[in-house]
Amino acid sequence: MKRSFYKMLSCLLLLFISATHVFAEKSASIDQANKLFLSGDFAAAASAYQQTIDIHGPSSSLLYNLGNSHYRLGQYGPAILAYERAKLLPPRDPDLIANLNLARKAATVFDKSALDPRLEAAIHWLSRNEWSWWVVGAALWMGGISVACGITQISRNFIRFSLVFASLTMIAGSTALFLRRDEDKRGIVLSKDAAVHLSPFEKAEIIGTPGAGRMVRMGDKNGEYFYVSVPGTELHGWMAEKDVDMIEKK
Amino acid sequence: MKWIAALGLLASSVVGFALAADVDAQLDRDSVQVGNGAQLTLRISGGRAGQPEIPQVENLIVQPQGQSQQTQWINGVTTVSVTYSYIIGSNTPGDYQIPAIEIMVDGKKNSTQPLKLKVLADAASQAPPGMPNPSGNPSTKQETTPSEDQFGFLTVEPATSDRKYVYVGEIAPVRIRAWIPAEARAQLRSGIQPEGKAFTLHHVSDQPQQTQEMKDGKRYLVVTWFGGISATKAGTYPASLSLQANVAVKDESAPAPRRSRGGPFDDPFFDSVFDRMNTRYIQKDVTLTSRDQEIEVRPLPSEGKPAGFTGAVGQFKLNATNIPAEWQTGDPQQVTASVSGAGNFALVKAPALMPEENWKTYQAKDEFTPGDQASFSGTKIFQFSAVPRKGDAQDVGLSFSYFDPTDAQYKTLASATKKIQVAGADLVETKKETTPEPPQEAKKPADNLIAQKSAETASGSFVPLVSQPAFYSWLGLASGLMMLGRFLAFFKQRFNDPKRQAHAALEKATRHALHTAGECLAAKDAAGFFAAARLAIQQRLGSLWNQPAQAITLAEISERIPANSPVTSFFREADLYEYSRHATAEEMFPRWRQMLDQALTSLNPPAR
Repeated sequence: MKRSFYKMLSCLLLLFISATHVFAEKSASIDQANKLFLSGDFAAAASAYQQTIDIHGPSSSLLYNLGNSHYRLGQYGPAILAYERAKLLPPRDPDLIANLNLARKAATVFDKSALDPRLEAAIHWLSRNEWSWWVVGAALWMGGISVACGITQISRNFIRFSLVFASLTMIAGSTALFLRRDEDKRGIVLSKDAAVHLSPFEKAEIIGTPGAGRMVRMGDKNGEYFYVSVPGTELHGWMAEKDVDMIEKK
Repeated sequence: MKWIAALGLLASSVVGFALAADVDAQLDRDSVQVGNGAQLTLRISGGRAGQPEIPQVENLIVQPQGQSQQTQWINGVTTVSVTYSYIIGSNTPGDYQIPAIEIMVDGKKNSTQPLKLKVLADAASQAPPGMPNPSGNPSTKQETTPSEDQFGFLTVEPATSDRKYVYVGEIAPVRIRAWIPAEARAQLRSGIQPEGKAFTLHHVSDQPQQTQEMKDGKRYLVVTWFGGISATKAGTYPASLSLQANVAVKDESAPAPRRSRGGPFDDPFFDSVFDRMNTRYIQKDVTLTSRDQEIEVRPLPSEGKPAGFTGAVGQFKLNATNIPAEWQTGDPQQVTASVSGAGNFALVKAPALMPEENWKTYQAKDEFTPGDQASFSGTKIFQFSAVPRKGDAQDVGLSFSYFDPTDAQYKTLASATKKIQVAGADLVETKKETTPEPPQEAKKPADNLIAQKSAETASGSFVPLVSQPAFYSWLGLASGLMMLGRFLAFFKQRFNDPKRQAHAALEKATRHALHTAGECLAAKDAAGFFAAARLAIQQRLGSLWNQPAQAITLAEISERIPANSPVTSFFREADLYEYSRHATAEEMFPRWRQMLDQALTSLNPPAR
């Protein structure tokens, strides 16, 4: 009994030490990347931020800093991609939105929605992930209330208020998720010369060049080409994998 | 029935033919050049008419072009109309009047209204090809070779202002007109472009207006756009614009085809008409340019330029503003403002929050609603995030500066101040990085890029929960919990049912009474046995009849249960013992026990 207790304690201690080490390593690589950025070596900074993301996973601040590095290099496609990805994590950061607008302006791409601006702002107030959690939370709350009512006596007013609140949350969340259902197919064109081809081959006829930073809807993959369509235009065809990247990358 | 319908149709047709005759003559234009013709359309409807005759007018040449017939049947009414076409023109300039044309329709005389046609002299006093030259000299080929102007040209005129100068940055509204010969076929191949870099063209209307106008005795198709031009540098520049077009004009220099003479159309005028019909077209990609018109561009005065001036030139008003009443230092909130008026809205930036040092503001989102076709006037709504730097109660307002070109002075508009409450302590500006700023930083363009973030945030996934299978697992769990809750509620309700509880208590009391009866039987206590057994049966009956057990007597049992039933027999035996109280024989106990069992069995519901 005593032996197993010590074993468990050792494991926990080891876990804590390794977690601390990983965190310290992450902080050190971020500091290094920040220093590179401040020294004006934006290419090295972008590479360092990307490496940190690859190793430790994406975070809003890392993606924001990566976007800034690409912006300073004049690479507006990758900058917009990084900002858009950062927006998936907390969409309400005013610094992020300001820099994303700057990058879009520099790349002369504009995000025009067909929805009413107020509705657009309301459904984008939370990220799709946050809306999902609100829906799940409301459903679980309703389930919990249901179980509690089956077990014990609960105030009728409390039940009524809880059910109304949870229902409204579920309706709002489901509506937002429904209206934003196509966002998982969004991609960003990375280079200004990225071309849309008639068929998925390098030498196929070029139909158009949407421009760096342009948001496209991504479809099937064929070899090294993705089928893309440019919203708001009639342009659709095949784009090389290296020229476009999905925002919600799996 | 079908006959009646057919008759009805016939009658309605007759009615249609019987309608009053109508005769109408129209010229497709009021004036033509010498040697050119206008089309006269004569329409006769509502009856049968003979071949019309156009009255003769001196020097006016009339050539019939043919006739067409149209039959209409609307709501059972048949209308037949015949249209005659003529080309009318003259080789002699002047004002001509075609008298009323008289036509006999179904034996009745009808006449048209008189028509007027103006025949204009050619600008160069030359007869067009195929027409006799008034001077008697034969026209040369060189004179008729198409020049660039024959394909059309552009004109640029100020749309509203009387000023002959503009200020740097000001968008001056202009009317741009493309003049294309009316007989030409034109296809525009580009938008209007400024020639040179002195001026920039703004907001050229998408849907130009088309009209037909006469200029220097020549008819043109005039395409009109509205837009604005602006200059970025002071000076005097030609406001030259250009437009790419593909224009096909008739090749008037082509030799006239030879035709036989002596026929009914042996007249030089008809030569002209036929020639025009047979002339081939010269098609050319041309650049229509405006004739140079110089515009003076004045610099904006440096005196009196407000600190918040961003380049807005025009006349503006600061309209509705929306500033939240409660703030927290460091927390951003949205501020809305609206600027309306006329001017260069592209350079109209969001109004500034005053006092400026107390606020950090972010780049504004704006939405422009044009008030006219050229977007020269309108309303721009700004929405921007602002962060208060200082706490406590404050008076806050918005300020907007612009240059008024009419008054030639800067103006600053201020909104009404609003009292706001800012919670929290004053923000102290600290540098995020302790490392010294390298010299490269100073070279960076001032593009408002907000600096790096040093604080680390939690890692997350790009794929939202809704796109993961876990989302549906969570919803399944929630549904399971709801069903479990419903299940539990059902059992809870069933458990707490008063009827079920009463029934259970009664069953328990019955069992207790039977147990007591059994004990009394063992103790040979006949009185106790009957008392307990009677109570057990009363309780069972009370449960069945839904009434109190004590209220059930032999009299009621006799009323509701047959007299020979085991229950009635047992109650009678119990009463017999109760009232006789004779000594009890040993052998009676098993019989009473048997009677009790039979009575209880008879009260149980029959097995199915």
